Amino acid sequence: MKLHALAAFVGLALVSGLAHADKLDDIRKAGVLRVAAFDANPPFGFVDEKTHKIIGLDVDYALELGKKLGVKVELVPTNPANRVPLLTSGKVDVVFANFTITEERAKVIDFSIPYFASGQQFLAKKGTLKSADQLKDWRIGADKGTTMETTLREKYPTAKVISYDDTPFALTALRNGNVQAITQDGAKLVPLLAALPDKEKYEIPPFAISEELEGAGIPKGEARLTATINDWLRELEKNGTAQKIYDKWFGPQSKSPLPRLFKIGDAHIRDK
Amino acid sequence: MTVTSLFGEPLATQYVLWLVDGLDMTVRVSLAVAVASTLLGFLLALLRISGVRVVTLLVATYVALFRNTPLLVQLFFWYFGLPGLLSDDAMLWLNSPHVLSVGGVELSWPSFECLVATLGLTAYSTAFVVEEIRAGLRGVPDHQRLSAEALGMQPWPIFRYVVLPQALRIALPPLLGQYMNIVKNSSLAMAIGLVELSYASRQVESETFKTFQAFAIATLFYILVIAVIEAVGQCWAWQQRAKARAMGKTA
Amino acid sequence: MLGLAAAGESPGDGEDGMNFQIIVDNLPYLLWGAFPEGPLGGAALTLVLSVVSSVAAGALGLLLGIALALATGNVHRLLVLVLGFFRAIPVLMLIFWTYFLLPVALGIDVPGLLSVACALSLIGGAYLAHAVYAGIAGIRRAQWDAGLALGLSRVQVLRYIILPQSLRMMLPSFINQWVSLIKDSSLAYIVGVPELSFVAAQVNSRLMIYPAEIFLFVGAIYFVICSALDVLASLVSRRLA
Repeated sequence: MKLHALAAFVGLALVSGLAHADKLDDIRKAGVLRVAAFDANPPFGFVDEKTHKIIGLDVDYALELGKKLGVKVELVPTNPANRVPLLTSGKVDVVFANFTITEERAKVIDFSIPYFASGQQFLAKKGTLKSADQLKDWRIGADKGTTMETTLREKYPTAKVISYDDTPFALTALRNGNVQAITQDGAKLVPLLAALPDKEKYEIPPFAISEELEGAGIPKGEARLTATINDWLRELEKNGTAQKIYDKWFGPQSKSPLPRLFKIGDAHIRDK
Repeated sequence: MTVTSLFGEPLATQYVLWLVDGLDMTVRVSLAVAVASTLLGFLLALLRISGVRVVTLLVATYVALFRNTPLLVQLFFWYFGLPGLLSDDAMLWLNSPHVLSVGGVELSWPSFECLVATLGLTAYSTAFVVEEIRAGLRGVPDHQRLSAEALGMQPWPIFRYVVLPQALRIALPPLLGQYMNIVKNSSLAMAIGLVELSYASRQVESETFKTFQAFAIATLFYILVIAVIEAVGQCWAWQQRAKARAMGKTA
Repeated sequence: MLGLAAAGESPGDGEDGMNFQIIVDNLPYLLWGAFPEGPLGGAALTLVLSVVSSVAAGALGLLLGIALALATGNVHRLLVLVLGFFRAIPVLMLIFWTYFLLPVALGIDVPGLLSVACALSLIGGAYLAHAVYAGIAGIRRAQWDAGLALGLSRVQVLRYIILPQSLRMMLPSFINQWVSLIKDSSLAYIVGVPELSFVAAQVNSRLMIYPAEIFLFVGAIYFVICSALDVLASLVSRRLA
């Protein structure tokens, strides 16, 4: 008897989860936007040394979205592998975490239009990695649950990929000699290299093995929220906010200057 | 959507195989750790009861240090901290593949992750095994040793044939519990990149997004391994009881 | 001689020596996280998490242990099976379950801290239940009979005669379980709960080149907490004896 009641309760909970009211309304009603952001990947999301708060390019986008919706932003720190489960389990409303748009992911979550783009590159000891061909018998550090891991496995099936919970662990492994190179978005590697105390010993070889378009992750089936975010992103590009955010983290005055080769609304990265 | 992500289509064979490979690694590492920590634990337990003050103190310190700090922190230290203290050449040697030739059979050199995981887990588990074996040795009543002495037996045979078998009988059930802990604790090695069962479940999950199935299969595998150890223990206890009954009859 | 003296100067600023200044610089963050501007974290959160889960695990263990002692037949078998499940599954796995799948299955949101506390108390409780059960079973049958003969109910016998005696015997099990619980709280790092191990990993990622120093220091903090509990336990058991 009790078991039946429990089953009915679980069933009800599942159905109510399905027949959910609109997420956008929920966010407005709660007055809080829960955003998953990286906490260890400068300059996308990382903990500020002095204030101990999470800051970064992705966080700036999250704060802008909060402003647009007129709600408070609550940041949930995440590592790469937790991003999709955080959305599917309803723990966050949006993910702003250098989130590459892929067909596979799009089956379980929705994406906004891309607001950032970059290519998968490598960081290795200077002079060791000369061509992508070498990768096939190298030990390469990656992050669990990233497209990097998958792409590498597809393109270089014989390479030994060792995945860590987050980029800094992979970086430590590289410095220790546990892996010969680590792979990431070029835009993540440049600031990583810039922050190394012995950066003259390392380099990012000038080739990329894929193009990564990054958007905001949104729970599946939230059409109104997705449309709102897309309109808001286009607006950010038009009124110059997107450029301002970019310049803050990658502009000529920043720690890791990088030319902006992708604007919101573009289909691909432009050639230099 | 929630329902499909919960159940959905079954996992493709390829991904189930990833999990099986993970299980294989979990079992291998656990076996290696169980053997190493039992041998080391034995040695340390003997040193612990040796009566030499300095030695006893050293072993006690080791046990306290390794028992009272989290395994995760220990593994992080071994994997990320230790290499910085080693020379570059040593790290290069440890990381490059070697072929180990044992009596004509060529074994491939385990990965650095595998080495560190085995080392770290052994160092941690030994601290627990020492205490179980010591308790086993202490559990043998003094009169057993004394009567053997009265029979004119020498110290080593007394230990080997009188004390040890009884101590092992006392220590075996808690030791099996420790072996179960080793299997479960090996899951933490995923944090240092060892491709064991938990790592594989995470990998399958991030590749297929079938969270429920990936975790369910991995959980099932863990329970299976634990059940096997439990069965071994039950079998052994059953044998012991049968033996005791047989002895009772002859007496 | 001169050569030796010159060589002796270098270790101070070289890469080889350990640098514990960075620990001093990051001490507040490691000890209490972003508090008071932000949420409590670091060693303080580890303590909170441990205390909450310890109390819950203790209560759960006591309850289930008594249930195990009183239940018979199929109910007993079912209880053993359920407890067996929690004893067989790695803490890390259970944290994944409670964090990612409980919300989907029940349609409720479980915050990270609570889901970790949940996982830790369930596993701790399952272990303690068996310790409590063994403690109760360890009391001689005659004590039960004597109590029942006095006209007490089974629950009363348990409450006034059996438990006071067996709890003293169980104390070491409880302490052991609590020590493991403090250590296992470090696994909360995997779901982003900013306890000690998590903030240590954060500091490590920011500084990048001092993993040995950071993890040694973090190990030392755990050691102090766990050893303090050990010492407390031996004091208490001496008082009881």
